[in-house]
Amino acid sequence: MKRHRVRIIAATGIVLAFAILVSIMHLGNAPDPSDSTRYLSRALEETGASNRVAGVYLNYRLLDTLLEVLVFSVAVLGVRHYLQQSEGMELPDLSESEVVRTAVVFLSPLALLLCAFFAILGHISPGGGFAAGVIAASGLLYVAIAHGMGAIEAQLNPGRMARTEETILLALLIFALSPIAFGKLPLSDLLAKGTPGRLLSGGSILVYNILIALKVFVGAWAVIAVFAQHRGEL
Amino acid sequence: MIARWILLSLLPVVAGISLTQSRRLSAIIGMGLFSLVLAAVYLLMHAPDVAITEATIGAALVTAIYVLAIRRTGRLTVVADEVPGLIAREGDRVAGLEYEILKGFAQQIGLDLSIQFVPLRRVRWLVAHHEADLGAGGMIHCGDAEGTLSSTPMHLATGLFAFSGTGMQQETEPAREAPDYEGYFSELLAHDKQGTLSAAVTSLDLARVLSLGRVGAALQDLARVDGEYGYAFLISRRRTTLQRDYAAYLTQLRASGRLDEMIERHFT
Amino acid sequence: MGGYRCIRATPGGTLVAAVIAFILFGIGVLALVLRRDLVIKLLALGLVNAATILFLVSIGDRPGAKAPIQLPGEVAILADPLPHALVLSAIVVNFAILALALVFVMILVERYHTTDSTRIEQEMDRETDEEETPCL
Repeated sequence: MKRHRVRIIAATGIVLAFAILVSIMHLGNAPDPSDSTRYLSRALEETGASNRVAGVYLNYRLLDTLLEVLVFSVAVLGVRHYLQQSEGMELPDLSESEVVRTAVVFLSPLALLLCAFFAILGHISPGGGFAAGVIAASGLLYVAIAHGMGAIEAQLNPGRMARTEETILLALLIFALSPIAFGKLPLSDLLAKGTPGRLLSGGSILVYNILIALKVFVGAWAVIAVFAQHRGEL
Repeated sequence: MIARWILLSLLPVVAGISLTQSRRLSAIIGMGLFSLVLAAVYLLMHAPDVAITEATIGAALVTAIYVLAIRRTGRLTVVADEVPGLIAREGDRVAGLEYEILKGFAQQIGLDLSIQFVPLRRVRWLVAHHEADLGAGGMIHCGDAEGTLSSTPMHLATGLFAFSGTGMQQETEPAREAPDYEGYFSELLAHDKQGTLSAAVTSLDLARVLSLGRVGAALQDLARVDGEYGYAFLISRRRTTLQRDYAAYLTQLRASGRLDEMIERHFT
Repeated sequence: MGGYRCIRATPGGTLVAAVIAFILFGIGVLALVLRRDLVIKLLALGLVNAATILFLVSIGDRPGAKAPIQLPGEVAILADPLPHALVLSAIVVNFAILALALVFVMILVERYHTTDSTRIEQEMDRETDEEETPCL
């Protein structure tokens, strides 16, 4: 009987979800069509970035993006807080075979290169700061798999990483508020727009991409390091 | 368009298969594959940014995090000091009384058994720090728990005897800590060569020496040391569920008579 | 530029993707409810996330579209960048929240030494029962 009841609940939930989604589409307040046309037609002139998506989330909707970065930071903070191991245990040995170590030699610089590419050219080609940070963290994870976490902890002290993370967040905040000093509203575009398609175009989108990439890299690596170090049961 | 249809129809199949797996690892890898197909679908929907982000996060990071998280689930980790007859390597297998008990227990609670042989002094540290679930292969002072460790119910009662007499060292200290694993064993052998085998003061040492086929210890003035000693497993005080499960299992073994049968098989 | 408010019923277009998104949502919810293992439940939650994101991205696609990256001077129909932008940060934040949820699952498993949700519930009931036994 319990199974039967569960199935009914599940099926009802699905149908409800379907109905809600479809009704939102047809009856809800869809955004003003003039907004979407504006994003497509005038994004190039107003933001200077040929990647329209970067123009939307780093210029028109910058506030949303910064708050998403804040949510990401809080989640990472939560992970680090709850998985803290107070005893100084020996770090687990994750080092692997010769094959993995040789493959890492050319895989991890490739990952780092991709991170730089996506972060710096985020306003011209697809990618963006978020993907860049995540790729860099994966690259560092390859190195950790090949040489063990001890090698990485020796170079990148966790305490220093935490302070770096806070510094980057502060830099992001200051850069976002800095247009006040120039008489403009905060979060507005500060740097020159330049010719679209070139590296120095899109105004402050370039700086935001790089800062977000750094922030996401440090955050994602903190999460991975804490998970790798945890010697609990699960 | 056709490619997009094919990939889209593949998505629920992959998701359905991976979420109905019985092994956790298979489900995690299946969802990683799902992420990859989803990234290809995004690409075909003219959304390259989304495709890149989904591929890196879903396929690489999420899978890595899950695998890191479930490293030790589903296993009963046992660290043991090698004791012939109780738990020891024979060729490439493990055999012994304690090994059989542990295997049955692991099977009953639905976990895989994983045994690691470590020096004796590391066993206590590993169990106390929750690196391992159980400690095996030694004689333990059963009864009251000391500190963070306690013992499971005894499965093989024995006594702690001290040798005394001419030419034999007087040892009343039970379960003396060995200085170094390899060195300890070779020390025993050295004593045996010189004919001054006075280092065998615990029945554990006696078992080792006997297993080497070098019998010849003269028992003189055997005195029983006070205290409740027996062969049991070391377990951390905080693992109450595991203690309860093991106590139930051992009672069941004893009641059905299989414990006595196993002891006979290994020690006669 | 139409096609923004409602799902365009073009074959192979948004409608098929939306239907598949609903199906995936359903599979995710079913697995979340019916499987007992906590880790599988979390994976199913991730699947629900992915289904929602697929639905959002599929709205922005229009027939004959290209990726929304284009230099001035070229004329083409571009896909709608707004859903892409919304979804981009959502994917990353979903990952962070999923990591946090996994942390809580780890703490729970460490406490009760099983990943079976029914068994954890039984243990919790047993604990509350033991607490409420008054000393008479």
